[in-house]
Amino acid sequence: MSYFRVNDNCNGCLACVENCPASALRFSDRDNRRTLKHSMTKCARCGQCWRICPQKAIEFQHLLEGSWDDVVTLDMIRCQVCSEPLYSTVYLQKMAGELNSTGEALCPLHRQRQAASKLPAVGLARVCAKLGYK
Amino acid sequence: MIVGDLKPRAEIVSAIKEYKQVLVLGCGSCVTVCLSGGEREAEQLSRELSQIRHIHGAPPKFEVGSILRQCERDLVIEYQDIPPGTDAVLSLACGAGVQVLADVFEPLPVIPALNTTFLGGSDKPGEWTEKCKGCGDCILIQTGGICPIARCAKSLFNGPCGGSQGGFCEVGGSRPCAWTQIVARLKKMDRLHHYEKINATKDWTKGGAAGPRKRVRIGLGDGNKRN
Repeated sequence: MSYFRVNDNCNGCLACVENCPASALRFSDRDNRRTLKHSMTKCARCGQCWRICPQKAIEFQHLLEGSWDDVVTLDMIRCQVCSEPLYSTVYLQKMAGELNSTGEALCPLHRQRQAASKLPAVGLARVCAKLGYK
Repeated sequence: MIVGDLKPRAEIVSAIKEYKQVLVLGCGSCVTVCLSGGEREAEQLSRELSQIRHIHGAPPKFEVGSILRQCERDLVIEYQDIPPGTDAVLSLACGAGVQVLADVFEPLPVIPALNTTFLGGSDKPGEWTEKCKGCGDCILIQTGGICPIARCAKSLFNGPCGGSQGGFCEVGGSRPCAWTQIVARLKKMDRLHHYEKINATKDWTKGGAAGPRKRVRIGLGDGNKRN
């Protein structure tokens, strides 16, 4: 759906097309039908069309408060302990290739905990004994 | 936004007359919005310049294009093609855009079609006024959101001069006295005590007096994109 929208007041006068400084508006007349066309990539969102429209037909708010479009959807890897979202499978493959290692899927917290658990055990009993506690 | 005005046609004609094929290149940002250098203006200028009566001898061949921002080097390098045979670019960007193009396409001549005039805002349709000098040390918090550097003809820092008459500047026209506006605004804001503060001499080194300024955003650039 276009972010450039007009209401029922539009009578196809083309004032907006004539006055768009970014050449973002065009029209086509075909089979007794006039179609107004808008290019979002050219649009500078300057509001000139909205200012100039004699019919007050342009609903410029859609160019200011447009919704979000989905761009790409990828499979995710989550932390294997707490399920926090980490990165995409594609990212994992790229990193695995570059690091020549897959590693475990862990969030920063659980990666830290895992690393701590692998440290050589410094027995509390040993420390206490050294300090003379029983 | 950056505001610019198209140069007089005679100056443009004089600048391009030695070239055979000129790319007229609009800029899709500030100068599009202030209706002086966008794609439409580029097309219009190209049409005007093609009319033989403007040119002694044969006019150059014109190609027309536009890019979102001429002032970003990587964007220009990646996305702006120069048509084969082009021997000059006529840029409708601000001075920043012209210089970036000249750097990127060196040694191709890049000719400015606009005079870059000021940093301004549009207070009403079709009218832009200067609002900011880019002085590098903003004091708008003290002056009710009205800049005395940009909007006082003398850039006075501590109140109006004797040329402030009836709320207007002695320079003439219908220019309001910025300091009259500031005092009125501060009164409305119940912040008139800001006016009593004496500002020290301004440090213009932040405003360009110490040479061209540069901003580096740590974490961007090096290694990520071409420089």
